This record gives sequence, C-alpha cells and structure tokens, in this order.
Amino acid sequence: MVFMQGFLDEQFNQLEELQDESSPNFVEEVVDLFFKDSSRLLTNIEQAIDKYPQDFYRLDSLVHQFKGSGSSIGALRVKNECSVFKAHCNDRSLEGCRRSFQKIKREHATLKQKLESYFQLLRQVGPREYAVCSRK
Amino acid sequence: MAPAEEAGGEFPVGMKVLVVDDDPTCLAVLKRMLLECRYDATTCSQATRALTMLRENRRGFDVIISDVHMPDMDGFRLLELVGLEMDLPVIMMSADSRTDIVMKGIKHGACDYLIKPVRMEELKNIWQHVLRKKFNENKEHEHSGSLDDTDRTRPTNNDNEYASSVNDGADGSWKSQKKKRDKDEDDGELESGDPSTSKKPRVVWSVELHQQFVNAVNHLGIDKAVPKKILELMNVPGLTRENVASHLQKFRLYLKRIAQHHAGIANPFCPPGSSPKIGSLGGLDLQALAASGQIPPQALAALQDELLGRPTNSLVLPGRDQSALRLAAVKGNKPHGEREIAFGQPIYKCQSNAYAAFPQSSPTVGGIPPFSAWSNNKLGMADSTGTLGSMSNSQNSNIVLHELQQQPDAMLSGNLHSLDVKPSGIVMPSQSLNTFSASEGLSPNQNPLMLPSQSSGLLAAMPPSMKHEPVLATSQHSSSLLGGIDLVNQASTSQPLISTHGGNLPGLVNRNSNVVPSQGISTFQMANNPYLVSQNSVGVGSKQPHGVLKTENSDSLSRSYGYIGGGAPLMDSGLLSSQSKNTQFGLLQNQDDLTGSWSLLQNIDSYGNTIGLSHPGSSSSSFQSSNVPLGKFPDQGRGKNHGFVGKGSCIPSRFTVDEIESPNSLSHSIGSSGDIMSPDVFGFSGQM
Repeated sequence: MVFMQGFLDEQFNQLEELQDESSPNFVEEVVDLFFKDSSRLLTNIEQAIDKYPQDFYRLDSLVHQFKGSGSSIGALRVKNECSVFKAHCNDRSLEGCRRSFQKIKREHATLKQKLESYFQLLRQVGPREYAVCSRK
Repeated sequence: MAPAEEAGGEFPVGMKVLVVDDDPTCLAVLKRMLLECRYDATTCSQATRALTMLRENRRGFDVIISDVHMPDMDGFRLLELVGLEMDLPVIMMSADSRTDIVMKGIKHGACDYLIKPVRMEELKNIWQHVLRKKFNENKEHEHSGSLDDTDRTRPTNNDNEYASSVNDGADGSWKSQKKKRDKDEDDGELESGDPSTSKKPRVVWSVELHQQFVNAVNHLGIDKAVPKKILELMNVPGLTRENVASHLQKFRLYLKRIAQHHAGIANPFCPPGSSPKIGSLGGLDLQALAASGQIPPQALAALQDELLGRPTNSLVLPGRDQSALRLAAVKGNKPHGEREIAFGQPIYKCQSNAYAAFPQSSPTVGGIPPFSAWSNNKLGMADSTGTLGSMSNSQNSNIVLHELQQQPDAMLSGNLHSLDVKPSGIVMPSQSLNTFSASEGLSPNQNPLMLPSQSSGLLAAMPPSMKHEPVLATSQHSSSLLGGIDLVNQASTSQPLISTHGGNLPGLVNRNSNVVPSQGISTFQMANNPYLVSQNSVGVGSKQPHGVLKTENSDSLSRSYGYIGGGAPLMDSGLLSSQSKNTQFGLLQNQDDLTGSWSLLQNIDSYGNTIGLSHPGSSSSSFQSSNVPLGKFPDQGRGKNHGFVGKGSCIPSRFTVDEIESPNSLSHSIGSSGDIMSPDVFGFSGQM
C-alpha cells in the first residue's frame, strides 16, 4: 500500500493479518467503527476548545481518547498530531491547541478519503488480489 | 473454571478474558485479537457493567483487561475493586505510556500494563498472569502469614515501601519471605494442591466474614495480626489460613492505599512511610467498614483512591495537604516522609480489639463511624493523643485514622500512615478537616486551623503514650476516611476510631473547615495527657474552645475511650461525633489540660469527630473494650462520630468525595454516597 505509507503504521498490518475467512471484512469494519466514533469525538473536542474558560484537562482527555482510538487502527499521522495537541494542552496554549486541532481534522479527513479509496480498490480487485495487496 | 477444562485441557485455550474499554474501535480490535489467540473474549464498554458482570459470575472470567481512562469509572478504581472482590488478574492498558501512570497501575495491583495499540504478541502472553496468580495463591496458602509479617517489618518509607509491598502483593514476591513461616498451616483445605491448575475455591468474604476478620485483626493488633492467629480467632470452619492471608494482604494494601491517598494529597504515590502497617490499619478499617456494610462502595472506592494516591475528586482539600504534611512533618516520628499522615499511629495496638472502636453495628450514622473505630484500642484513643498527637508520637499509631478523616485524600494517606506506624490505636480520622486542624495543633505548627479540638481527636489522641490506648480519632467526619473508617470500626470492635486526623496532619485536620476547633477535638489523648498534642498539639488544645470533651461522652471516653464521645460505647452519643460541636469527647476530660493538647478528646466538633479517645483519665483504652461503636457516633450528624478526622469523615475521598466538606459528610460520605452500607464497600461484596 504505497499510497498509504506514512498515514498508517504497522498496526494496520496487524489488522489485516487478523482478517480471514471467518471475518472477511474485519479491517473495513473496524475502520468504519473508528470513523463513526471519531467524528463524535472531534465534535466534542471542537466544542471544548470553543468553550470558555478553557478546560485543558478535559481537552487533553478528549484528545487522548481520540489518540487511543486512532492508534488502534494504525492511524499514524493522526496519532502523532494528537501528541502535539496534548503537548499544547500541557502548556495551556489555546492557540497551539487550535492550530493542532485543525491539523488533526485535516489528517483525519485525509485518512478517511484514502481508506475509502483503498477499500474500494480492494473490492474491485477481488479477494485474492486483496490478499496480495494487503501484504503490499 | 479452569480454562484448561473448558478447552479440553489445552490451557490457555479458551481462557476467559473480559475486556473493558469505552473505545469501540479498540474493543473490536482487541476482541478479534483475543479470538485469534483462541481465548474466549467478552467485551464491555462500561466499567460499571463489567463490574456487575463480574459480581454476578465470579468464576466467569480468568483475566480482565481494562482501559485506564473511562468515562464512568476510573480504570484504576475498577482494578482495585476487581482485585479486592474477585481477586482476578487485571491488566491495564492505555495509550498513555507515561511512567508515572504505569507505576500507578502497578501500585494499584495491575498484573501488567499494555500500551495501545496492543499487539498480538502481547496478548498471547496474558495467560501467564492467570497462571502466576493461581500459583501464587497456592503458595500463599502454604506460607500464609509470612507475608503479613514481612509487610509489617518492612521499613516504612514511602514509595519504596509502598511499592514493594504492593508489588509483593501483586507478584507474590513475598513468597520467599513466606517460606520462612511455617508452611504447614492448613494447607489447602480449600484448595487443590496442584498449583498450576488448582483453582482454589474462592472464599466469599461476606460482610459478616469480613467483619469477623476485622475484629480479629483489631483484636490482635495490626502488627500482630498474622493469618494463623486471625484464623484462630475467627474460628470459621472451612476457612484456611491461606484465605485469611490473602485477604489480609489485600486489606493491607487497601489501607496502605488509603493512607497514601490521604497522605498523598501531597504525595500521591508514596505514602510516607507507608509502612505496611498503615495499610493494614487502613485496610482493617476499611474492611471492617466494608464488612459492616457501612462503607458504601463509593466511599470505599474513594478511600481506595485516596490511598492509592489517585486523584480523587473528592476530598482533596486544598488546605489539607499542607497541613497534613505539616502534621506529618511535625510528627516527625512518622515514618512517612512526606505524608506525614502518619500521625496516626495506628492505634491498632490496642489489644483488645482496639477495633472495638469500630462500632460494628453502628450503621454509622449515615456517615461513617468515625474512624476511630479503627483505632484499635490503642489507637491513640486512649492514650494516644489523638492522632494528631500521635503524629509526633511515634507511639501512637492512632493517628492514622485521622489522617484519613481529614481530607479525603490527605486523610487517608495520612491516616494510613499512622496506622501503619503504630499499630496501636486506630487513628480515627476525625472528621475531615477537623482533625487536621487538630493535628496541626499538635504539630508544632500549631496551626490555628488545626484546632485540635476539632477533629484532632485523633491527633490529640495520640500522645506519646498512646501506645495502647486507642485513639479516638473521631474527628470530625472526615468524610472520606471516616466514612470508610468508621465503618470499619463499626464493624470491628468497638474501637473508637480515633480520628486519625487528629494527630497526623496538621493541616489535615479540620482542614475543611478551618477546623472547627470548637469541636473539641476529641483528642484522644488518652491518658489525659494533654500532650495530646503534647507533641505538637499542644497548641492545639488551646485552640479549641471545646476542648472539653463532652462530658457526657467523656465518661465513656475516659473509660472506654474507645468511644470517644461519650462513655459508653461511644459512639453513639457522639462519642466521637461530637457533632454537637464541642462535644468533646470525653476523652480528654480535662479540657483544660487538653487545651494544651487539645488533641485529646476534644470532642470533635460537630463533625463528630471527636475522637475522644484519649480518655482523660487515661482510662485509656477502656475504649477498646468498650467497643465503642466508634463508628457509631451518635448521630450527631454525620460527621459526628467519625472519629475520623476531619470533616466529612475520613472516608477516602472516594466515598465522600463530595461530602468531605460538610461536617456531616462523614456520615455523608458513607451514607450519602448512597451506598455506604452496602457490603460492597471496600469492594468486598462479600466475596473475595
């Protein structure tokens, strides 16, 4: 998955390896689950950022959840940006948090698009090829 | 249920794993991975639901994997509860890899800590934890008792100690120590001999059984409570020494945590000098409390939180920390380093059920019976000038409690320490803050706040001589601790809980409220030593207006001391609870004297924390015998008898969390938490 490089890490591979006849769409299912849950989390974060006075503790906690979730599917860039965000929370830098949050949103959206394309491709290619592709 | 059996003997195939995490993505991935490892995986997104499932079916799972950050319950809390109630291995996981958090997990008893994203390889090995635990339990049976001793002798020194003891408990490293003990003790009536597959039948630690356990421990004194003797005292057919040993271990951990918690407000992870004693004391109380059903699970949890130094939302009283520290510092003798909470030298010493202080039955007025219950006779109550005093007194261990009382967090930690510190007398944390203030008084700081009178009962109670007298820490209702502690007391012997606060945390005591000095810190002072504060509290005494322990109580106090508050098995009249503000507990009858030492029996003010233990007349320890229902403080108000220090009952912050502030919080915490009385307290829903 060359085009996915940088966006996903080894965890994603692990997910793919878990996929088999008994759970043939496992990866896609998990990814769907992630995006559904993550948009909810993003909304919460956004609301928390705009709230005044800022509650950095809560912000950190929300992003932490998001980070954990993303790491479960191997969303590398998203995960990294979450770490940056948490550092800003730690410094109590609202501006830093805002900037970082924008990046998180962008990375998240990009990842979503790419994965959608990826799964589409896999479906087109067919099961056998999928196995090949997924192993890169 | 042995996985092996279900899988046809091919362990770990079929091992039952319960995964708890609020993140659905992670749950899905883990479940798939576990299935891939051929385990039997069940997922749950809510900790509370998971706990219910576990309680309904204890044998239904072999191992739990839980996330740390969850919305409905803190993962560490779940960890503790599972460990206490079901004794199952728990593995924590989180995306948070900070060392301090990981350490926290280990201290709370986690078998392992996985960093997300969790890899297959890591999951493949989790069966080792299950096996290890079983193996250790088996060994425990053989060497029951050894652990206890080793814990006790372990030098109190804060983190290390705590860590080591925790680790010991968790890893069974104590095994080696155990070997020294006699190993032939009932080896296994309840279990099969084969370590690898034996599934020791789990003993269900019901409230009654736990209460018996606590009574026994109180009776023996936390220092001397070895499984063998406890078993003998309990005289429960079919119960093995191993069962007792493992239960004791947990109890100790719990106490320790509580102590830590209190003390830890300042020092989260390491209970200053958290000697095992503290843990045991705390544990005793808590358990007793739990056993008596008095401590609401929440309180227990809070208490546990406190102990563990976990951030508890409740209790933390800003002022307390410092005071506690001061107190602790003052005491000097306390093993605790920072926490100081130690002041409460554990009153456990009291031989005769110092715990008697714990009014078993007293359903703790709503609140938790003052910690004092804890304090075993010795607790400072009687002579220990209350915890506060004890702080400085190494002798009094009573204080421990009062630490608890004081601040939900501080108290606990503090108390625990004290508990550990001195087995004698249970320090009953006087109602939360009050005691602290009291304690402060004791300490050289003499904080005006401290008002020894208030809750310092504990502190005060711990006069150097405390040794055996139970300190009644009844300090105000330290919500957190007291709540828990009181219960304990109640459950256990009538030991009046001497609010541990009393002596220990100078700041702690009464922190809440600026310590209502008027309360009359029930300084336990037992022997009338004004010293209650003698050590530090000296100042305290004067502070308190009430200083005088309730006369009415004083009767009881003086004699039974155990009850801080009014003669008779105290507690009721507020023995400790001096809710009536100024009821000084009888303990220190000599108010005047007390003034110096306020610590003693000042009845704890409204909080009821009066710990009155210190019987002025040094009737000391009569307390103990009197079984003062410490916990029972007359309802003065909830906080009353808390014996604990501080307002709001010493109950670990967990319980009281919000209660702490209010004087009545003690009862509050206990009761208000809504379920204090459930036997679940302390995580013991009757089953261990």
